[in-house]
Parts: sequence; structure tokens; C-alpha cells
Amino acid sequence: MRMIRPAAALVAALTLALAAAACSSSGTSGGSSTGKPQQGGTVTQAWIAATPNFIFPYAPATNTDGYNQNLTEPMWPPLAYDGDGGQSAVNPQESLYSSLTFSNGNKTVTMVLKSWKWSDGAPITSRDFTFLYNLLKANYQNWNLFIPGTFPVDVASVSASDTHTVVLNLTQPTSPDFFAGDVLNNVQLIPQHAWDKESVAGAVGDYDQTTAGAKAVYDFLQKEGSQISTFTTNPLWQVVNGPWKLSTFNSDGTLYGYVPNKSYSGPAKPYLTKVLNQSFTSDTSMLDALRSGSAIQVAPLPLNDVTQAGELKAEGYSTTPVAIPGVAGMEPNFYNASVGAVFRQLYIRQAMEELINRPQIVAKVFNGYADPGNGPVPVRAFPSWASPLEKQGGPYPYSPSAASSLLTSHGWKVVPNGVSTCQSPGSGPTQCGAGIPAGQQLQFQLAYSSGRATTDQTNAAIQSSEEQAGIKLNLKPEPFNTLIGNTGICTAKSHTKDCGWQIVEFGYNPYGLYPADNGNFATGGTSNFGGYSDPQADSLINATLQSSGTQAFYQYEDYVAKQLPWLWLPLRESLEVYKSNLAGFAPTNSFSADLDFETWHYSK
Amino acid sequence: MGAYLIRRAGQAIAVVVGVTVLTFVMIHMEPGSVARSILGIRATSDRIAIFNATYGLNQPLYKQFFAYVSQVLHGNLGTSYYLSQPVSTLFAQRLPRDLFLLGSSTVIALAISLPMGMYQAVRRGGIMDNLLSAVSFTLYCMPAFFFAVLLVAVFAVQTHIFLPEAPSGTSIGSMLTQPRALVLPIATLTLIQVAGFSRYMRSSVIDTLAQDYLRVARAKGLPERLVLLRHVLRNSLLPVVTIVGLSLPGLVTGAIVVEDVFNYQGMGLLFFDAATHHDFPILLGSTLIVGVATVLGNLAADIAYGILDPRVRYVRG
Repeated sequence: MRMIRPAAALVAALTLALAAAACSSSGTSGGSSTGKPQQGGTVTQAWIAATPNFIFPYAPATNTDGYNQNLTEPMWPPLAYDGDGGQSAVNPQESLYSSLTFSNGNKTVTMVLKSWKWSDGAPITSRDFTFLYNLLKANYQNWNLFIPGTFPVDVASVSASDTHTVVLNLTQPTSPDFFAGDVLNNVQLIPQHAWDKESVAGAVGDYDQTTAGAKAVYDFLQKEGSQISTFTTNPLWQVVNGPWKLSTFNSDGTLYGYVPNKSYSGPAKPYLTKVLNQSFTSDTSMLDALRSGSAIQVAPLPLNDVTQAGELKAEGYSTTPVAIPGVAGMEPNFYNASVGAVFRQLYIRQAMEELINRPQIVAKVFNGYADPGNGPVPVRAFPSWASPLEKQGGPYPYSPSAASSLLTSHGWKVVPNGVSTCQSPGSGPTQCGAGIPAGQQLQFQLAYSSGRATTDQTNAAIQSSEEQAGIKLNLKPEPFNTLIGNTGICTAKSHTKDCGWQIVEFGYNPYGLYPADNGNFATGGTSNFGGYSDPQADSLINATLQSSGTQAFYQYEDYVAKQLPWLWLPLRESLEVYKSNLAGFAPTNSFSADLDFETWHYSK
Repeated sequence: MGAYLIRRAGQAIAVVVGVTVLTFVMIHMEPGSVARSILGIRATSDRIAIFNATYGLNQPLYKQFFAYVSQVLHGNLGTSYYLSQPVSTLFAQRLPRDLFLLGSSTVIALAISLPMGMYQAVRRGGIMDNLLSAVSFTLYCMPAFFFAVLLVAVFAVQTHIFLPEAPSGTSIGSMLTQPRALVLPIATLTLIQVAGFSRYMRSSVIDTLAQDYLRVARAKGLPERLVLLRHVLRNSLLPVVTIVGLSLPGLVTGAIVVEDVFNYQGMGLLFFDAATHHDFPILLGSTLIVGVATVLGNLAADIAYGILDPRVRYVRG
């Protein structure tokens, strides 16, 4: 896949979200070239604050730069290639395997690799897969994209039945959709015949076949992978299997470029002779460059600057909307000392959700460029996985009257534009709920990530609409890194010192190609900050990871949508601008991350 | 002079050590988890543990401090948490760029503002003095961000005369090959500095012109040109030297606004990003560098006093 694994740092997710493009209902504006493809030409692609610093595809646990995935995937694409034209799906033509078979109750996976070659002429074989598996098995704790419980620790054994066939025996059944869309699309094949060595001068061997050897090789490759000054000269990084080779990389990562890998075996041979990636310090400087007639062909256009689209059109650019594969929401702290008991009541969460006018936010704040946020799966990025309930608007449409009635029926004195209070404490059906004392106020602090005007506007709108039922939100914007640093994971068992927060909104959490829970709502999930825990939800989540098809997925999705572990919010899209004579760029899918430039070309 | 320099060097070391200790303690008093702040939403407990162990954040604060001092004494400023690069490498990339940008703009600003201030003082009250004062005040009160955006709008977006972004090269040599890209960032910084320097120079020259020794010089028949160059200029430079000395640390702290507008990877943005990411090694390294620059700037100004005004002597006591 051409997307950073969901476990990567948020900056990576933001990068890809900005860069990802989707064929959405908003449609592409401006002309898109459709003439005969022209060989040659250079494309310069702009990014905001994107400065990769590591070239070995498996970065250390301490490295949080998600742009490293962007740097490496054009050279070493993942086994499963995400994105197929305008479709958010695995691309079978460009994926490295020709077949993927599941047997033994989905506990055995047989993968047949295509007979493709590395850029030095060596064949890609099953040994390359066992090489990367051996490295990761010995070093998964020092791999920044490792997700606990998943590859490689859920693999009991790997064997190569022939030069192109790999058999993986898993410790538990897996969903074929999950395995292809969330595992193989994060695993980049690497050349054993060139990289299985422990030092620069050392010979290539089979060092990976012992744990000590695998650690030594991994350490060596990680050390070499951090040497920015040798990114374009180190012989290790000259051996690629993707459509591109790195040709330039300046010392601070603000400008780097690729040329075609002339030995690329895949079907989509590059048309362009060069692709440059230029980082800008801010969207202001990038926008100035676009408006000044610079040599930038592709760039993200923040929604705040959507009014610039017309002016850019005059400069020869077209725009296309971007659907972000992620889920946005406000996370209540179920174990906050003062308001945790309030949030543990579903009817409270339901009332709060019914007071969020999501359609209006989409229309007014995002100018229509947003997913409605009807539940845990975005309907615009994942039309095939969004359930009918979500597509119909979700379980809790905007209804201030229903919200007020709900609170009143549970013993609250509702004070519109004031602060509602609990008048009937207790756990009966018409009482406020267990642990909620008389006089408890519906007043919460919402801490959110600052720096984005649309987020400020969204939260101001929510603050205003919640007041209709006497729910007072005190807004507390903070820089993202401050916010995340101050927000502890709070559960019934581990109540850390950083659990003073009440509601937090980080922006959104990204998904892979398969939009399962991904640590957001499962008990103990890595992103389950508020400590939401529901055995039924856990069971349904597990089902999505072990079975295929939409039935189990919809069950999980609808249940979680109704249970509101988060308060669902619209998820912004962004816009991509591109030169109108650049073909093959649009329509785009949510997972190409603007890295599929082998399909881009100028037209005659 | 030698004893003075030794004494000042001692003071400088004390200041730098003090600033380092203070900064170290203050940034470690920030609430929240540094590891989570850096690693993001999906940081697992294992990754957090590895992060803390890698950077010694699992050690008591005093041990962290002594470890830091030890590595600094060995020429190692540590590794950036966020950028995963040695701090010294990051400084080596950005510091020369800032020194070039800010240094050249300061030199140009001085070259403009010294004669301009002197001219205004000599012709004070005249049309040109009033006109130049109006220009200076306008430039002085204009926020750098607004001024930069204005220049970009006029000279890059509208007329396409200059480029809106600074050179993309990382070395000064490669930057010099793109002069069109250098004009606007240097012009922004220059014009803003001209406003301040020229006002100081004008005031200083006016004070000097009222001194008795000028009357003596003229009475002795010294041509007016020499009166101005030998006596007025030299004596009027003292306040400007102070301002220039104090601005030296600015050369290494960067110009964040200009860097942001002109897509210029400099120390200012590096420091700002480090502050928002809790990137302690960069914050500490920057503070150390700025502390040294401040001390050196003041020392240079003191030495310049002695050169400009022989009455100033650096003696013991």
C-alpha cells in the first residue's frame, strides 16, 4: 500500500491524509489532460514540513517521521499495493504477489510471489520474504510500525515451499481482508542477496537465520539507513524493486527526487524522467510559490485556503478533493475522577451526539469537503465498508429536542444556554446513573489540537449547539504535541497522573485499507485513551480481524456507532492541486498518498 | 586588556553554565510525557520504554543533567528526538544559512542606515529628514510578517520579478547561485533593520554635533567633511555598536517569521518546532549556542568601544 501504517506517528497520518486523494462526490474541478501520454518530463511535488530522514524501510521504534514511508515506498513497495486508480483497493497488478490463499481455518496463508526482479537483475524470491520476516521477528520491538499482537509476532512459522511460494502459519485465524489490507500493505520486501550483511565491508551471507545474526544485520541496516549524506550513494540503497530510484536528496531532506528504475518489472512503467519532492515550511509559503508561477505541479491545498482555488486555476492548476481514511471524534475520559461516571452513561453520550449538527458543520465549516462522520467508518473513503446505517446518517442524527428529552427522562434539570444538573441521582432507569451525585453539572473541558481554523470553527459550533441542552463545553486548544504529551491513557485499572483531561480531540486516527478497530475502541487499544471497555465490542472487533466479508464488519461497525466510545465528528477532506496538463493524477484514491507517480504523465 | 578579556571569559563561562542549568531544569519541568509527545497517539508502552531508555529519560534528573554536560564537553549536543539526527548536524545545516541571511542583511542595513542617519542628523528638520523619518517609522512599526507577505505579493505573486521562496540549496554556495530567490528575504530583514539602526544613528549624531570639540575642530580649520568623518561618525557609532552587539545572538536564533514566509530552513523554525515537540536536545543546544553568542556579542561590543573611543579603557577593577 502507498500509505503509512496506522501505527505511525500522527504526523505521518496527517501527511498521508493531506496527500491521499479520493474520488469523492465533490468531484474534480478544472481541466484534466486526457491526451496521448508523453514520455519524459519532471514533476515537482510540494509537501508541508515533510523532511524524511531514514531510508531503510524498517525504522527504529524511536523514529517518528512518517515521511520515511513516503521516501522508501516508491523504491521498495509493500507486498500489497494499495490503491487501484480511483479505487481504494489492493491493486493486484502492482502487488508483489500473484496469489494469496487462506486455508486451515484462515490460520495458514500461502503467498505466491510474482517472478519479478530487483534492479540489479537478481530475481525476487521467497528468500527475500523470509529475510525480512527473520529480521522483524528478531527486532520487532525496534520497528516503529509494529503493532502489538500482529505481524510478525502472530506468525508461528514461515517456510518457503519453492523459490516463489511462502507459507505462513499463524497463531490464530486471520481475516483475508485484514491480512491483505492491513498487514501485507505495510510489509516492504527487501533484497536478501544484497542486504544480508553485518558491516559495510562484510560479505553477504545468511546471517538472518539466527537471532543474533538477524539483530546484527538489522542494526547495521538501521545505522546505514540513518546516514542522510549517503542516501543516494550507498550501494545498499541502489538495489530496489519499485518503479523508482532515489537520485537526489539534499542534506536536510527538504528536497529529494527520483528517476525511473529502468529494470522495474511491474506493469506501470514510469513516464516521467524525474520526480522531485519539495518541502515547504508552511502552507503560506507553498501557496505563494504556486501563485508565483513556480515549477510545482502537485501540491496539497489546505481547506483554509480553498478560496485560492480559483486563482490557482488561472495559473493552470486543477483541483481534486481528498477523502481521508480515518475516524474523527471527541474521546470522553470514562475514568476522569470528576466526570468519568457521567460519560459512562450511554444516554449522556447519545444526547451529546444528538446535539452535534454534523451536516451543518460539513456544509458551513468544510464547504462540503468532509466526511459526515456518522460512525467509526468514513463513508467517503470506504464506501465498500461503510454499513447501510452509516450511509443513512448514522444512529444519532442531529436532534436537540431528542437530546433534551433524553436528559430530562434520566433525572436531569435541563437549562438551555445554562448548565444542566442532576436532580435524581441513582441507577434506576429514570435516574442520572451510577456514581453521578445530585447537583452534578454537565460541564466539561474539551482539549483539542490547535492550529487549524476548521477545527476551531467546528468546536465553536459544537460548543454552541451543546448549550441548547445545557451542556457546557470549555474549549482548550493546545499544540498537538503538548496535547498528546499531557493526555494519559486512563482505564479502570491504571489511572495515571495524566488523567485530568475530560474530553480530548486529537484530530483523527487513520486507517489502513481495512478500516477495522485499529486500537481505537478495543479494551486496552493503543489509541483508546478514555478507557472504553465493552466485552461485546471486543468480541465484534475480534470477529472483524478473523473473518472476511461485510457481515461481521457491519455488526461491529453498527454496534460501535451506537455505543459511542467517541462522539463522532465530521472528518475534513483536503484538496490537491495539480497542473492541468498532468494526466494520470486524478481521479485518485484515498491510499495512493500521491506516491503513485509512475502513472503520471504529461500529454501531447 | 588581556586581564579584562580573561575576566570576561570567566564571566562568559559562568553565564553559559547558568543558562544551561536553568534551561535544563525548566524544560524538564514541563508537564506531560515527552515520549508520548514525540511518538504520537499510537505509542505503545514498549515503544515508550525504548524511547525513554534510548534517550536516558528513565534516569533521575540529576543523572540526565550530568550525562548531558558530559556529552557536551565531548562535543556532542545529543540527538534530536523528533528529527532523529544529531543536533550538531542540524545546526551545521541551518546555522550557516542563518548567518548568511541575517549577517548579510545586517551588513547591508548598516551600510544604508549609518550614512542615512548621519545625513538626516546633519540636515535635520529638512524635507529629506522628515521624509526619511516617515519611511523609517513606517518600516519600524510594520510587523515583519506583514512586510514579508507584502513584498511577496508585490514582487513575486503580482509581478514575478523575484521568487517567493528562498534558495533550496543547503550550502551558501548553492544559495548564491539563485540570487532572485535571495532578494526578498534579505530585503525584508534589511529594511526592518534599517529603520532601527538609522534612528539610533540619527539621534547619536545629533548628540555628537552638539559637542564642544567639534567647535574646536572647526575653529582649527578642519574641513566639514573631515569633521563629520573623523569626529562625528566615530563618536556617534558607540550606541549603534551596542545595538549591533546585542543583535548578534539574533544571527544564531534565526528569523522565524522570515523563515516561515520564505520557506527558509533556519534556526528559528528549528527552535520553534523543537519547542512544540518537546525536543529537549535541540532546545538545550540552541540555548547553549545563543548563550555563547550573547556573551560574544557583548564582548565584541565592549572591544569595539575601546577602538572607537580611546577614552574607554579596560582596566582592573
